[in-house]
This record gives sequence, C-alpha cells and structure tokens, in this order.
Amino acid sequence: MKTVSTLLDAEWRERYRRISSLNIRSSIYDLTCRCNLRCKGCFFFSSGEHHVQEEMDIRKWEAFIDGEKARGVNLAILIGGEPTLCMDRLEAFYRRIPTYCATNGLIKVPRDRFPDMMVGISLWGGGEDEKILRGRDTFAVSSKNYEGDPYTYYLYTLTPRQVGKTEPVIRRIADCGLKVHLQLLSNDEGVDGFSWRPEELSDLRFELDEMLDRYPRTVISSKYYHEVITTGMMQGRRFGWRECPSVTESLDTRQPPVRRLIHFYRWGADLQTVHRCCTSATRDCATCKDGAAHMSWIMVNKRDHMTSTKDLQNWIEVYEMFAKLYRLIPW
Amino acid sequence: MPESKDIQGIIRHVAEIIIGELKLEDVTPDTFNPEMDLVDELGIDSMDLATIALVLQDEYKIVIDEDDYPKLKTVRLIAEYIEEKLAARQ
Repeated sequence: MKTVSTLLDAEWRERYRRISSLNIRSSIYDLTCRCNLRCKGCFFFSSGEHHVQEEMDIRKWEAFIDGEKARGVNLAILIGGEPTLCMDRLEAFYRRIPTYCATNGLIKVPRDRFPDMMVGISLWGGGEDEKILRGRDTFAVSSKNYEGDPYTYYLYTLTPRQVGKTEPVIRRIADCGLKVHLQLLSNDEGVDGFSWRPEELSDLRFELDEMLDRYPRTVISSKYYHEVITTGMMQGRRFGWRECPSVTESLDTRQPPVRRLIHFYRWGADLQTVHRCCTSATRDCATCKDGAAHMSWIMVNKRDHMTSTKDLQNWIEVYEMFAKLYRLIPW
Repeated sequence: MPESKDIQGIIRHVAEIIIGELKLEDVTPDTFNPEMDLVDELGIDSMDLATIALVLQDEYKIVIDEDDYPKLKTVRLIAEYIEEKLAARQ
C-alpha cells in the first residue's frame, strides 16, 4: 500500500504535514454589483449575475457574515463588482473571517484599516491588452497604489496575445516589489483574437515554466499547475462539469457525487442568491480556464496523486501555491 | 449492523470499509495498521472522511458529527468513537 511515508523523503513529508493540517473552508462573495471598470470578458457582467438587488444595510451584511463563520467558513474570497467600492462591507468581513479581496487595484485598500488583508490585483495582459479589454492600463495606477505591499499580489490573466510577451510584465511586477500568480483568460464574450488555440497553450506552458525558473521569488506558481491549466488534463481526466470542484453546494446535483470543495458557496450581493460556481453559470465548463477552479481540482484529488513520488510532490507544490496566495504559509 | 461490536471487531470492520471506499491495494483488514494516521500517512481528506462516515453511520445506526472529524485520525480512534456512541445509545 502506498502511503505518504513510502512515497516521500523526510523533507517532503514535512512539507506535506505543514499543509495537510490547514483544513480550509472557503466561499466566494459578490460584495457589490458595481464596478469602476467594464472589462470585455468579465464573467460577472457578461453573465448577467450582477442583476440582483444589492443589500445596502451593513447590519444585514454583518449578521450574514456571522452566519457564514458559524457555517465553518474560514476563508472569505471577496469579488464583485469591485469590492473596494464598499469598504464598510470589506471591513465587516475582515473583522470576522480571514479575508481575500480581489480588486482591479484602482482604489487603494487603506492599510491602517486592513493591515494584513490579502489583496489580489487583476491584471489582463500587458498595457495594450488592458486598453483593449478594460479600457485603460490599470497597471500604471495599481502598481503605484500597492508598490512593495507584503500582502498583495497580481493575478495576471494571460491572453493568447501575451504568448511570448510575459517576461516584461513579470519583470515590471518584480521591480515594484510585488508577487504574481498566473491564470488564463476564458474569453466569455468571444472577443476577436482572444480565444486559445492548442499550439498557443502549448507554447505558453513552457513560457510560464521559464518565468517560474527566472523569477522564483516573484512568480507564485508550479509547473504542474501550468501543465493542468494549459492542457485541461489531470491524471488522464479532462476538466469540465463532471470534474469541477468549485460548484455551490446547494446547487450541486451531480451524480455520482464529484470530489468538491466542502461547503463551498458563491453568494450574490443580495445575500440570498447563490450562483452556480466560482465563475458564471453561462460559461461552458468544457472551455473554462479559471485558475482557482483548476487549482482546487488538483487539491481535492489528493489520493489520485498518491500514485508516485513525483505525482504527490506535484500535488504538494500546488497546495503550497494555494496556501501562499492566501498567506496561510509564508511566501 | 455488523455482528461484532467489541473493539477488535469494530476496528476490523472500519478497516474493511476504508479499504473498500478508497480502493486500497496490497492491504487487508487484518494487515491494516489501526494506529496509522489516516491524514498524515494515508492521505485521506475531509471528503474521504465524509464518505467513510456516511457508510459507518448507515452500518452502525449512529450519527457522526462533522465537528468530530478532526478527532477521527486513526482506525482505532474511529472504532473507539463508534464504541462510545453505541454504549451511549444503550
């Protein structure tokens, strides 16, 4: 029988034990339906999931968050809309549950109110791609707002047009003292020139590996994660509805049951609506390239990686990557 | 309910269920080490444990509280937990 001890040496066993005790229970919350950008390809607005009556009473938010904490949630992932438009709600979460804020970085989170809250700044390619997809080069603003911030990283969403051009972007991030994590655009709105072709994905995989080797202190990633997000394959299985772990628990009717995030929900900003998954219900799961969903897919399938030393090490590296992104373990 | 309700019988049956649910190879209920840490050594996660708990609840007609999962770290600890639940019911 293969066990952790038979597969790993002492150093890797210690790394495994460090993460195996984390017991993370995350859920996602649309903090608001409003945003200060309107990006092409944003799943929130293209899906119509912003059409809910936003709860405006902060006391109702506080009671809701208390309920989520009682439900066992120990990691709140705040998205939107743009969460920094609602600092009172942001603070209500931060005071109660370990909190991660996904932002476009145009508004600075005041560190006197949120000293150690994790912030992930969305970045869609280099400056030109950002202008096409988001209407402006947000990096110029966000990098000034968060330069050197130890609790902030960029979530760099790569587009097909970025293949061969990632190095200058990553170098700029390194130069302003921040970290970067990588994921792929799913192109929900079918913007011309932004859908992936197999050869682009293949080229990108090796480019990302190279970036990880060149910027190991800046890029928070793993080569196995690169393999899975660019191929959509893990241990011979293809990502899709039958595999995705990030489906809201009460809407998950899949049979037989799928390995999934325990008690995961994605809540709308009315605090009543639940959305299908961590992206949008209009997205085709077969072409979904969501980085967090693929990362979680690997993480919930630990025992499928207990087949060889290399497979289990790959699994550990992905779990460590996740834990680093939320500062559950040091960078 | 399984016939044997003494601790050794429960240990053997819990091991049997884990082997079956996780499709473990090269191990039998008799060779399964009841002291082995199921998380640190076998790589069981909370979803595996939830699946195993469902089978155990059904077989022993007991309720296993999700808050108790962290305590259920070995086959022996699971068996002792079941034994306590059965005793409390009587």
